Amino acid sequence: MLQDILVTGLVSGSTYALLAIGFSLIFGVARIVNVAHTAFYMLAAYGLYALLVQGGLGVLLSGALAVVSVTLLSVICYRLVIEPVRQHEAAVLIATIALALIFQETVLRIFGGSYLGVPSAIDGVAHLFGVAIPKQRLLILIVAGAMLAGTWVLLYRTRFGLAVRATANDLEVANLMGMNVNRVAMATVGISVALAAVAGVSVAPVFVVDPFMWLAPLVTVLATVVLGGLGSIQGSVIGAMVIGYVEAVTVFALPQGAFLKGAVALSMMVIVLLVRPEGLFGVAFEEER
Amino acid sequence: MTRQLIIAAAGMLAAAPAALAQGTIKIAVLGPMAFVQGENHWAGAEMARDEINKAGGISVGGKKRKIELVRVDSNEIQSVPDATNAMERAITREKADFVIGGFRSEAVLAMQEVAMDYKKIFLGCGAADAKLGANVEKNYERYKYWFRVSPLNSPDLGRTLFAVLGTIAGQVRAELKKETPKVAILAEKVIWTEAIVKAAQDNLPKMKMEVVGLWQPSPTATDVTAELAAIDRAGADMVFTALSGPVGIVVGRQMAERKMHAVAFGINVEAQKDGFWEATAGKGNYVATLDTYAEVEMTPLMIPFVRAFKERFHKSPTYNAATYDAINLLKTVIEKAGTTDAAKLVPVFEQTQSVGTGGQLEFTKSHDPVWGVGKTTGIAVQWQNGRKVPFWPPQVKGMQKFGFPGQI
Amino acid sequence: MSPAFLARRAWAQFRGEVLVLPSRTLAAAWVAAVLLLPLVLPDPYVLRVAAMTCIFAAFAASWDLLAGYTGQVNFGHALFFGTGAYSSALLSLRLGFSSWIAVSVGGLISTAVGLGVGYLCLRLRGSYLSFATLAFPLILIGILFAFPDFSGGELGLSGLQPLAASRIGNYYVAAGAMLILVFGLWAFADSRFGLILHAIRDDELAARASGIDTARYKMAVFGISAAVAGVAGALYAHFMRGAGPSTLETALSFQAVIWGVFGGLATIYGPVTAVFMLYPLTEWLGSFSTFGELRLLIFAIVVLLVLLFMPRGLTPWVRDRMETRCPRCKQQNPAWRKACRLCAAPLRLSGAAVT
Repeated sequence: MLQDILVTGLVSGSTYALLAIGFSLIFGVARIVNVAHTAFYMLAAYGLYALLVQGGLGVLLSGALAVVSVTLLSVICYRLVIEPVRQHEAAVLIATIALALIFQETVLRIFGGSYLGVPSAIDGVAHLFGVAIPKQRLLILIVAGAMLAGTWVLLYRTRFGLAVRATANDLEVANLMGMNVNRVAMATVGISVALAAVAGVSVAPVFVVDPFMWLAPLVTVLATVVLGGLGSIQGSVIGAMVIGYVEAVTVFALPQGAFLKGAVALSMMVIVLLVRPEGLFGVAFEEER
Repeated sequence: MTRQLIIAAAGMLAAAPAALAQGTIKIAVLGPMAFVQGENHWAGAEMARDEINKAGGISVGGKKRKIELVRVDSNEIQSVPDATNAMERAITREKADFVIGGFRSEAVLAMQEVAMDYKKIFLGCGAADAKLGANVEKNYERYKYWFRVSPLNSPDLGRTLFAVLGTIAGQVRAELKKETPKVAILAEKVIWTEAIVKAAQDNLPKMKMEVVGLWQPSPTATDVTAELAAIDRAGADMVFTALSGPVGIVVGRQMAERKMHAVAFGINVEAQKDGFWEATAGKGNYVATLDTYAEVEMTPLMIPFVRAFKERFHKSPTYNAATYDAINLLKTVIEKAGTTDAAKLVPVFEQTQSVGTGGQLEFTKSHDPVWGVGKTTGIAVQWQNGRKVPFWPPQVKGMQKFGFPGQI
Repeated sequence: MSPAFLARRAWAQFRGEVLVLPSRTLAAAWVAAVLLLPLVLPDPYVLRVAAMTCIFAAFAASWDLLAGYTGQVNFGHALFFGTGAYSSALLSLRLGFSSWIAVSVGGLISTAVGLGVGYLCLRLRGSYLSFATLAFPLILIGILFAFPDFSGGELGLSGLQPLAASRIGNYYVAAGAMLILVFGLWAFADSRFGLILHAIRDDELAARASGIDTARYKMAVFGISAAVAGVAGALYAHFMRGAGPSTLETALSFQAVIWGVFGGLATIYGPVTAVFMLYPLTEWLGSFSTFGELRLLIFAIVVLLVLLFMPRGLTPWVRDRMETRCPRCKQQNPAWRKACRLCAAPLRLSGAAVT
């Protein structure tokens, strides 16, 4: 049972991590709580379904097209909807909620409310330490790792990443230093949603695709990001792993309590927050005057 | 003089729509119209309406009146207050005479209250919760206008489950050469599965089957990796399911991906739908579930109904299409009673036995369908290579054989 | 003090205090409309929708007190609504309390929960508080599902008796409660208490430095907000004759946030206006059999469009069009006036108009 927990926790944790790093990035840089983050994840899953199952294009092509189109959509939404109301935090929040609802309803109209399935990119089961893991899950693990590594390289080894980190650190000074803060914010939105879209495309074959699939991951992502500390990338990854393992332990230790895994993970988050209000790795923000 | 004529004419014109309205019998079909359940509600109702109106309509005390359907979106899946608003609207605004439909039990309980307030006959075609019937027994005068046409209530569904299990058990022992097959119970943690789970834990040992564990995911779970890993480790030969949510799809798919030798049987609402095969990406083989409709002769009406439905709507009916039976039953009862007055119809409903498409329809004291072989039991189907194959009750014409992983 | 004298004095006060400002006149008209609705439209369906609107208006207004005035943006406000609904239902069904007492005690239980949550959230700031509060209703749902015999599981509790015998009676219960609760909240917000709340939101450190016990105020606001939301939930349960997990849904919490921001934060009347505009609108859209299924989509688009043009919310925008603030005495005046109604200072700076 121990290896079941270890492996299952790792796989769920990496799925959550993939979703969480994008969300954390956009919050850290642009101070935007993007409630529509998982809605983009859902759109990418539907895009994959439409291209792969209905359109008959190959897996790689469908996946790539889905990611690219959702990223473009996010940038357009940012320009049209978010940027005009950037100054008003509350309005940005509602705007993202409204966007998420619009995506949900549009998808409901086009594809219907039934649960859809997407074929796996890789079929078959691998055996890791005596535990049977579907190969698609291992793919998710690898993709999550690659994305994390890529994000790290982008943030810490490129000039653009420097601009992003500077903007996250202090928006006004970055502006004074000549960085185009708006463009940095927009690019960050693009990268963040691209990460969510990649998550959507990798994860869709493992779960089911339906118009409401964005709600449950949203709660988990928020819990993960809060647990790890808002604005901290490594915090999000660690938070994701913690949540993944807590869920795995709950299900294996308490099979009759499997339905509680969500509630237990959330309680975990609340407890951590009580002890350390800024999350595990978060930075306690000074109130900006 | 001319003015008086005009006023009289205006008066008659105003009365005319009322007179026309007197002509039709308005039946409101209430369901989540944006989802497959509501679509089936409407489809079954349309089929019934078209057939009956083509034959002239319903004969009420000698006069023939046509059926007029009102399509009302209850939106119950997304919002319970929307459902009660819709029910009130159907009754007060649309002036429906009868109401049929419903799906989400929490919403139907609330909708039942509204319909009973207005003393309208409400024929349920989707919610299985026993409380809807228990209300009738507890407070007959208030709730007597409710009748459940489909499905069986949850405890009765459990009885069908064990009847089917009895049939499969023998096959399991013969094929697997095991005296006591191991069964894992995988049931959502919700009220409707409580009675079934308890009955399983009591009955399975009596049927010489060993219960290796009970797993209860949440009704909205979409990942059962952990549960299946544990079930596999426990060496289960069968997974006894009581699932109504998306878990049903994931179970089918992940069991196949893990190449588990266990076979899944029980209640799996998602597996009743046509889209199940595609939703599991073609992997939902051997998943078996209780169901309502197939091209088998449970009653003389089932095969023609299923074929006509498939031809008209290009998909198979789900149990929500029992609105067809509901309207036909209403016609029978109205014609027998000679009136559309709800209070007078109730005793006629209680005494009527009619042949429906799903079974022989008769009501208990709690206005639920009577359970029994020859009455209403439902059927059991198994997915085999992309097709839903009915296999129980084995003696009915059209039934085929249950299969095990590796056989087909 | 003859009745004629009192009546004339009341009219003079009304004319002098209420009718002088368009916003107050509108509020008075709205109160009259709410109270007179059953006389104009006794249709039971309309009254049902109106009663729901009143209940949700109280719910949204309570959220505004918490989020708008103290800046504690609560993403799980449905927790209080659901607590009020479930506790009053349990009291009515299991302990046989009369409906009125059940509603009141349900409100008290909700207040206690609110104080508890407020205490837990004292150290949390900004988004951390929002996301933590999101978790609470979900944790409660998990607990309720774990004890289905007690809570009714996914079906909830049903078979409650409504508070009044007739639909009109029930409507007046909902409308009356809403008016009392909303005006109560507004009185709180408009008083010195509300001033302190503004201070806490804008700069908690400075408020603490000025000697204000911010923790106590923050907890008190959680308690008051939870009380109002709990009573709203209890009224909902008795009107619908049941309380289920749908009273704790995340969608309901989000709805409160949308109403609050759409209507205008830190106003109390803003969210109430939003509910009165949006809820009947979505219900009306849903009644069309052709595009009724698009109601949520249209709702979201409307919200988005309004937000793009009025980012601070609907009521502040409308109020800015209707009224201006006098530069000297800082009191509100109708926008078309040339001179302040109280201190006679000129309200427009256009060169020729000043005399």
